[in-house]
Amino acid sequence: MTALWVLAPVLLPALAAGACLLLRHRSAMPRVALAGAVSGAVAAFALAMRAVGGGPFVTAAGWLHADGLSALVSVIGGGVLVATLLHARSYLAVLPALEPGDGGWAPGRWEATMLGLAACVQLSAVSNNLGLLWIALEGATLASAVLVGYYRRTDALEAAWKYLLLCSVGIALALFATVLLHYAAVSRIGEVGGGLEWTTLRDAAAALDPRFVRLAFLFALVGWGAKIGLAPMHAWVPDAYGRAPAPASALLSTAVTAAGVAALLRFATVARTALGPEWPERWLALFGVVSVVVAVPFLVAQSEYKRLLAWSSVKHTGLVVLAAGLGTPLALFGGLLHLLSQSAAKSLGFMLGGHLLRASGSHRLDHCQGVLAADRGLGTLLLVTGIGLTGLPPSATFLSQWLTLAGGFTGPRPVFAAVALIALAAGFLGLVFHWVCMLTGPAREGFTDAMPRSARAPLWAMAVVLVALGVWLPAPVRALLESAVQAVRP
Amino acid sequence: MNVLTGWLPQSNTVNLLAGAFLLTALLIVTRRRPLEVVTALRVNAIALALIALTVALATGAWHIGLSAGLSLVIKAGVIPWLLAGRARRMTREVRTRVSIPTGALLCGALVVLAFSQTRELFGQRADILAACLPVSVAVTLIGLFVMVTRTQALMQVVGLVLLENAIFLAAVSLTYGMPLVVEAGVLLDLLAGVTVLGLFVRRLEDALGEADTERLTELRG
Repeated sequence: MTALWVLAPVLLPALAAGACLLLRHRSAMPRVALAGAVSGAVAAFALAMRAVGGGPFVTAAGWLHADGLSALVSVIGGGVLVATLLHARSYLAVLPALEPGDGGWAPGRWEATMLGLAACVQLSAVSNNLGLLWIALEGATLASAVLVGYYRRTDALEAAWKYLLLCSVGIALALFATVLLHYAAVSRIGEVGGGLEWTTLRDAAAALDPRFVRLAFLFALVGWGAKIGLAPMHAWVPDAYGRAPAPASALLSTAVTAAGVAALLRFATVARTALGPEWPERWLALFGVVSVVVAVPFLVAQSEYKRLLAWSSVKHTGLVVLAAGLGTPLALFGGLLHLLSQSAAKSLGFMLGGHLLRASGSHRLDHCQGVLAADRGLGTLLLVTGIGLTGLPPSATFLSQWLTLAGGFTGPRPVFAAVALIALAAGFLGLVFHWVCMLTGPAREGFTDAMPRSARAPLWAMAVVLVALGVWLPAPVRALLESAVQAVRP
Repeated sequence: MNVLTGWLPQSNTVNLLAGAFLLTALLIVTRRRPLEVVTALRVNAIALALIALTVALATGAWHIGLSAGLSLVIKAGVIPWLLAGRARRMTREVRTRVSIPTGALLCGALVVLAFSQTRELFGQRADILAACLPVSVAVTLIGLFVMVTRTQALMQVVGLVLLENAIFLAAVSLTYGMPLVVEAGVLLDLLAGVTVLGLFVRRLEDALGEADTERLTELRG
């Protein structure tokens, strides 16, 4: 019975994906897809409430589980999927006129791929078996690659190829990490729990051979790090997020990133117990801070809106991983809140990118000027996005960055927090410059957003979430994050 | 059964097959015709499946036998068949960033490195297949080498598949395989992965005339 709770967020989108592939009614597809996404999101929220309220539980003979961390990923994946599918309904209708090389997919394939990707993310969130986790994330990678290569143009092909190769190597290394951890377990504690169950590994971590856990953690860091775009394995990020259709970029940079971060944190939890917290945390902090620093020059000197968002994604992911490495519960709390708040900011930003592209006919930043004067609604949304990306109050990213850095300065590694603070300030200046250019000035001629007003509803919803969480952290969200912290640092 | 499990790590059958696995990986580095490269990859996967089969026979674990059969079908059958279909259409020879003799020399160095480092970490443990582990690490490195030095998209896929074969060998030799459900899922994912990669190779061919990644230079910064 409990297995059904855990499986519902996976199965509902997966069933809808199957239906989209099999149904012949073109007009019914968006509705079927949306029904799958909404019911999946409801199931995800219900699962999160149960896992947070009733405590973590393991089910399906040890294959599946739910705790705070899986609840967080589940909620992010469910929420963003509904928003992006809603937005994609209007966006895909205007797409052929917008982008050269949009051959148009066979009906239903777009919805099926998005839903399949979301189902993989949900499965990875609730996988207790590290092998199953790997299978789910490999599935997510393949679905993402198909989405990145949506347009039949050489630049989209280049982006998809880069994404496929780099992420495939990354995920192969993550498989090696899984094999190594499996060996470390089987050679010491026998085939208990198949030797791959995360809860068993976590509890028995102290008995594992530290040399193999160390190797496994390093391979996991490089492998899952490549999957989430951690520097120096981030080369695919700007290309993939910049070239995928706007709703797909929104889903990739939020749900898939959250799933990858969670996978990395699962390995980190085992490594913390087996090796002591010091060693794995130092590596997490190092990779995190390098990602934050690497992104800064590209944030300042950038000419394309979506690539700017992609580089800021590298920065935000780096900050989350850094938070896990700073060594205090407060920093980790801030980092996980950042995972949540940056998901709202990033999905808003990418979906808004679709509107800006529709209105200005170009990806370039300098083709979007005077947005506030041209369209008050879009301008306001752009302003909220800017506040969210730069981490200004009252957005939730301000709160999360502040908590992360505050936790970092009181912890054992304040130098990393200081370097991140300087890099964030430099990136802030770059982003503010671009945003002032886009928002202010006289309206550009011909800047009109022809998409229906209803297409903006998910954007407003994300904007509200972003600001509301910054002003007031409701008790359930707080409990969710605290239980996620508990899962990572038992 | 325990006697056999003790015999297995010293068995020459496994050592011979591991040697074949390593040699075919080196063949992939040194061959110039795309079809020959794919054939070498096929033999590589057959060696892998036979090692798994030997382990299954020696330990009597039916689930290892099943996964050996699965990898024989998928890794030595379907995947090379998919790749050969594309390789037949390649009119040019394999193009490399470093010359073939230099590449062979560098891969030799990688093999030496893998053997010396693995010995240091694992020592002579009785519970693992001693010959397979250094071979698996060496072939992982060779697979990465192929991916980095080949410019044609299809050859990069070959490097990736080689890398995955090596990781499978590590799984078989370290722990006599992972749980069956996991291994079957992993194999299906890999098959889906090669299918998607093959799809993109074809689209690259359609777009560029030939699938050479050196022509992909549009995205910067």
